[in-house]
Amino acid sequence: MRILIIEDDMETADYVMAGLHRSGHLAEHVSDGREGIVCAAGGNFDAIVIDRMLPGTDGLTVVKTLRSVGVKAGIIFLTARAGVDDRVEGLDAGGDDYLTKPFAFSELLARLHSLARRPPLSDVETILRVADLELDLIARRAKRGDRDIQLRPREFRLLEYLMRNADRVVTRTMLLEKVWNFHFDPKTKIVETHMSKLRAKVSLEGEPELIHTIRGAGYVLRAPV
Amino acid sequence: MFFGRPFRIFRTASFALALLYAALFAGSAVVLGCIVYWTVQNSVDRQLTARIEGELQLLEVVLQADGSAELVRQVQQRVVYAGNLEYFLADADGKRLAGSLPEATRKLGWSDIEVPDQQNRGHTKTFRVKTKVFDNGYRMTVGDDLAPIYEIRRAFFEALIWTLAAFLGLALLGGILLSTLFLRRVDAISKTVAEIIGGNLNSRVPLRGTYDPFDRLSASLNRMLDRIQLLMETLSQISNDIAHALRTPLSRLRHKLETALIAERNSESNKTIDAALMETDTILDTFSALLRIAQIESGTRTAGFGNLDLSNLFETVADAFATVAEDEGKTLTANIAPKVTYWGDADLLSEMLANLIENAIKHTAEGTEIEITLSTQNGVPVAAVADNGPGVPDQHRTRIFRRFYRLECSSGTPGSGLGLALVAAVAELHGIELVVADNQPGLRMTMSFVAQPPKQAEIRDFTGLSLFAEQEKSVPLQAHAVPGVH
Repeated sequence: MRILIIEDDMETADYVMAGLHRSGHLAEHVSDGREGIVCAAGGNFDAIVIDRMLPGTDGLTVVKTLRSVGVKAGIIFLTARAGVDDRVEGLDAGGDDYLTKPFAFSELLARLHSLARRPPLSDVETILRVADLELDLIARRAKRGDRDIQLRPREFRLLEYLMRNADRVVTRTMLLEKVWNFHFDPKTKIVETHMSKLRAKVSLEGEPELIHTIRGAGYVLRAPV
Repeated sequence: MFFGRPFRIFRTASFALALLYAALFAGSAVVLGCIVYWTVQNSVDRQLTARIEGELQLLEVVLQADGSAELVRQVQQRVVYAGNLEYFLADADGKRLAGSLPEATRKLGWSDIEVPDQQNRGHTKTFRVKTKVFDNGYRMTVGDDLAPIYEIRRAFFEALIWTLAAFLGLALLGGILLSTLFLRRVDAISKTVAEIIGGNLNSRVPLRGTYDPFDRLSASLNRMLDRIQLLMETLSQISNDIAHALRTPLSRLRHKLETALIAERNSESNKTIDAALMETDTILDTFSALLRIAQIESGTRTAGFGNLDLSNLFETVADAFATVAEDEGKTLTANIAPKVTYWGDADLLSEMLANLIENAIKHTAEGTEIEITLSTQNGVPVAAVADNGPGVPDQHRTRIFRRFYRLECSSGTPGSGLGLALVAAVAELHGIELVVADNQPGLRMTMSFVAQPPKQAEIRDFTGLSLFAEQEKSVPLQAHAVPGVH
C-alpha cells in the first residue's frame, strides 16, 4: 500500500513510518497541511493518515479540500484531543476513520488494511464465503458446510464484519465501533464474550478453527491452510 | 409580558409592595375620614342642640315677661313663619295650644322622635326634640329635623367609598405597571443566567445606562460573569495544556514501549514491557476520561445531538452486556418499550447506559439479577438500571457521582472511579434527572428524560451520522429474511 502521513510531530511520524516500513508498506511523510494537499492530490495514495491539528492549514480543512478535488483515498484522522464532537466533525469533513493518540501501531495498521481493502462492489455482494463458511446477507443465514448455524442478530453482524475483513486483523476497538457502534471503551469484556460464543457456533468439535485471536492485536478470520 | 403571564405579576415583590401601600393609604384614609366625620357631626350636633336650647330659653323669657297668652301667640307665629324649628305647646292638662309637632312625646328633656313626613307619604322624619315644663304648667317642646345630619353622614360614606375604590384601582394599576417593569428587568437577568447555564459563557445582562439599582445589580453580575469566564477559560486552557503537555510524552512513552516489545525477543523482559504498556494505557485512559468529563460538563459540545431512537439504543446496549453478565454468572433482563425517542447524542447516551450496567455487573456477587427498563410515563421517557446486589448506603448515594469516589468495599475491584462521574455529566448535558434509590435490596438508578427538544429550526439533520441509520446501511433487512427481495 502507498500511504501518506501528514503529521507535524516528528516522533509520531517516525513511529508510524517505521511501523509501516516494517509491515512492508510504502510510506511518505510531510509535516504541514499545505504540502499535504499538494502531495496527496498528485500522489495516488491508497490511504492518508493525517493529524487533526497541523501548523498552518489544519487537518479538517486539508481533508475537506482533498475531498473537494476528488481524492478518493481512505483517510484516517489522528488526534490528541479526546473530544466528544471531534469524531463527528472529522467524519463530516470527509474522513473515513478516527484514531485518538496515543494508539497502538497494530490498531492503526488494522484500520489502514480495513480501509484499503474495502471492495468497491461490496454493496451488491449478497453471499460472503470463507472456506466452507457461508453467510447469506439476504436470507440472513449462516452455514458451515451443510450445517446451519443459528446466529443472534449481533452475532450475525460480528461474523459479517469478520468475513468482510477476512485474512485481516481486526481490533477490539474496530469491532466495538463497527458492530456495536460503541465509541467508548467498555471496562467489561463485551467483544471477548461475544467472540467466544460466535467461535463456539462457527467451529464445532473437530471442525478446523476459522476465527483466530492475535495476541495484543485483535482477531482474524481466515481459511485453514 | 403582562398579558401573556398575568398571574406571574401578582407574585412579584413590587406588586405586593404596591398592594401593601394601597392598604396603608386606604387605612389612613378611613382614619382621617372618621376624624373629619366625628368633628363635623359633633359640631352640627352642638349647633342643633344650642339652637333648640336657645329657643326654649327665649320662649320661657316670653312667658315670664308677657304671660301665657303671648307665649301661645308667639309659638303660633313661629310655626307659621319660622324656618326650620318645629314646636308643640300644651297646657297642664295636655291639650294642644299651638305647634305642628305631633303629640308624640311626653318625655321631658332630650329625645329623638319619628314624625310622619307630610310631603312624602309613608315615610317618617326624625326630629331631635327637647321638652320642658314651664312655671305655669305648660309643656313646651322644641325640635329640629335631623335630616341634614343624616345627609352629612350619607355624603361622607359615599365619599369614603369612592376614595377607597380610587385608591385600590390606582394601587392595582401602579402595582401592575411597576411589576411589569420589574419583571422585564428580572427576566433579562434570568435569560442571561439561563444562557450561561446552557453553555454560552459570553452572554451578559443588558444595561440601560440609567444607574438605577437594577442597572447596578446587572453591572455587578456582569463583572462577576467576566471573572468567572476568565477563570473558566484559564482552567480550560490549563486542562488543554496539561492534556497536550502530558499526552504527548505519554504517547511517545507508549510508542517506545511498543517498539521495544517488538524488538525484544526475551520473554521475561517482554512481560515487564507488556505490564508497563498496560500501566501507561491506564494512565492515558484516566486522563482521557477526566478530559471528556470536563468537556461534557462545559455543556458546549452538542454537535452530535439529534433526534434518536432511545428504545433501539437501549436494546443495543442491553444486548451487548447480556452476554457479559451471563459470563459473570449474573442475569440481565431488559424490558424496553418500543419507539421511545429523545433528543441527544447517541454515543454519549450509550456510554452512560453502558457505565451504569457495567457498574451493576462489576460490583455485585454471582447470581445477581440486573434489570433494565425503559418506558414512557406521563409523556416522559423513564429508564432504570436496577440490581438486587449489595446496594449503596444512604450517605454515599450523592457522593458516588464524584470523580474518583469509590466505596470502600469496591476498592478491590478494578476501575478508575470515573464511570459514574461521566454518567452524571452526560445526564446533566441531556437534561436527564438521575435518581439513586434503594431497590430493596440492591441499587436502582432511575433516569427521567425530561428535557424538551430544541425548536424545530434548530434541529439539524443527523441521519447520516446516527447510530442506527449506519446500522441499517450496512446490515440490510436486519429484522427477518424476505426471500426474493434484493
